[in-house]
Amino acid sequence: MTAAVILLCILAALLELDTTYVGQLTFSRPIIAGPIFGLITGDLMAGIQVGVFTELLFVDISPLGGIIPPSGVMCSAIALILYSLGIELYFGFFLGVVAGIIYGHLDKWMRKARFKRMVFLEKNAAQNPNAFSRTVIMLIVSAFLLNLIFISVCAWICTQLMYNLVAYIPLKAYAAFKFAYMAVPWIGLATLIPAFRLKTR
Amino acid sequence: MNFSMHLRLFLRSFFLQTGWNFAKYQNVGLTFIMLPFLRRLYKQDKEELPAVITRYLDSFNTQPVMASFCIGALAKKEENIAKAKSVTIFKEQLAEWTAARRGLSITAASIGDRLFWGTLKPLTLLLAIFIWMILGVNFFEIELLENPLVFDALCACGAAFFIYNTIALFVKWQGISIAYNSDEKTCFGLTKFDWNKTIYYAKHIGLILTAGLIIFGVYHYFKNIELNLYFMTRAVVVLFFIMLSFLTRKLKIPNMYLYIAAVIIFNLACYL
Repeated sequence: MTAAVILLCILAALLELDTTYVGQLTFSRPIIAGPIFGLITGDLMAGIQVGVFTELLFVDISPLGGIIPPSGVMCSAIALILYSLGIELYFGFFLGVVAGIIYGHLDKWMRKARFKRMVFLEKNAAQNPNAFSRTVIMLIVSAFLLNLIFISVCAWICTQLMYNLVAYIPLKAYAAFKFAYMAVPWIGLATLIPAFRLKTR
Repeated sequence: MNFSMHLRLFLRSFFLQTGWNFAKYQNVGLTFIMLPFLRRLYKQDKEELPAVITRYLDSFNTQPVMASFCIGALAKKEENIAKAKSVTIFKEQLAEWTAARRGLSITAASIGDRLFWGTLKPLTLLLAIFIWMILGVNFFEIELLENPLVFDALCACGAAFFIYNTIALFVKWQGISIAYNSDEKTCFGLTKFDWNKTIYYAKHIGLILTAGLIIFGVYHYFKNIELNLYFMTRAVVVLFFIMLSFLTRKLKIPNMYLYIAAVIIFNLACYL
């Protein structure tokens, strides 16, 4: 891994915290994170494109109630890491979307598992209110480490997979992935029309 | 509530979702936010604090920005509980606190989900796309052009970031004080804003921007019309996915699965 890729993994792990754990200041939105990643990898244009495409693809899933959307940060990061290592952007984007979906499921599992720890915390916290600050710090640090491990492992697996497969990928598959990638803005825009539809005033 | 406490509640509100879990949702976050306020309120009666904290650890879930209204309202109600002179008043105030906690969290979540997730987020996305397109970035062509100037590139996402956060942080900051100084009659200050009108106008702008983008995309494809295989394939792809996207929206299938299906379909089509 190059220094840029390592830096991108750390930054992606940090920005992912903004989705739920700290802030919700929209740093984790792909249109913000994508160009930042693009600056790191040295291709700002790719960062902008991946950011916009990722956000358009995930725009129909909002974190309402208990819904956990796929990770736009992970998707953009994986796509741009692979692109910076010489893999076509449309292959990288596909693997990024898959990584984003997997991260969403992992996050769901983490939140389910966290409840057991929360029961223990609740028992002690009422007696020792200082435990809350410690717990909050611990949760943020553990989430950051999990994000970092996830993105690093994902980036390594995807890179190895593509390096080993690239020689065997037929030209037709390039065209297929390219057309699917080209359809992304249309899929997103077609979703936005019903999203902005005025049902009642 | 003095400025210092207001600021502490505001800053801590960024950690509302830190301990989000499927059983009690934002209970840890809410307790973490309210802790300095509760500590100050029960400074003379420290033995009461564990029971109060246990109350806050009950399940709580709302939209993160609109949570500020719940924080302000709960702070006011908690003050009333702490000031209760008799058991009857205490019980009455406690019932009001519980009702405010449940009712307000649902109402605030409903408004917040529609305004911030459903309208403002896609609207700022469209705004960023428009600014980028004005600066010469065309998202209907996937071939990457030369890198734009860093300032040009960042001003579009900066605009989306700035507009979303100006509104969100304003609501977050004001929500605490408005709810603290209001009562049930104004739904803890929620009725001070015309949310429906705001959402209505924002959705109008969003619809116009989306239609504008689609028209631009169609114009871009047709401006140098040459009925060759590449043009026909692109036209079929676009039409097919617009139709399919409307259908999957009705069937509540997320876009990401439509994209994965597209990859599979195109691969199959290329081999057939």
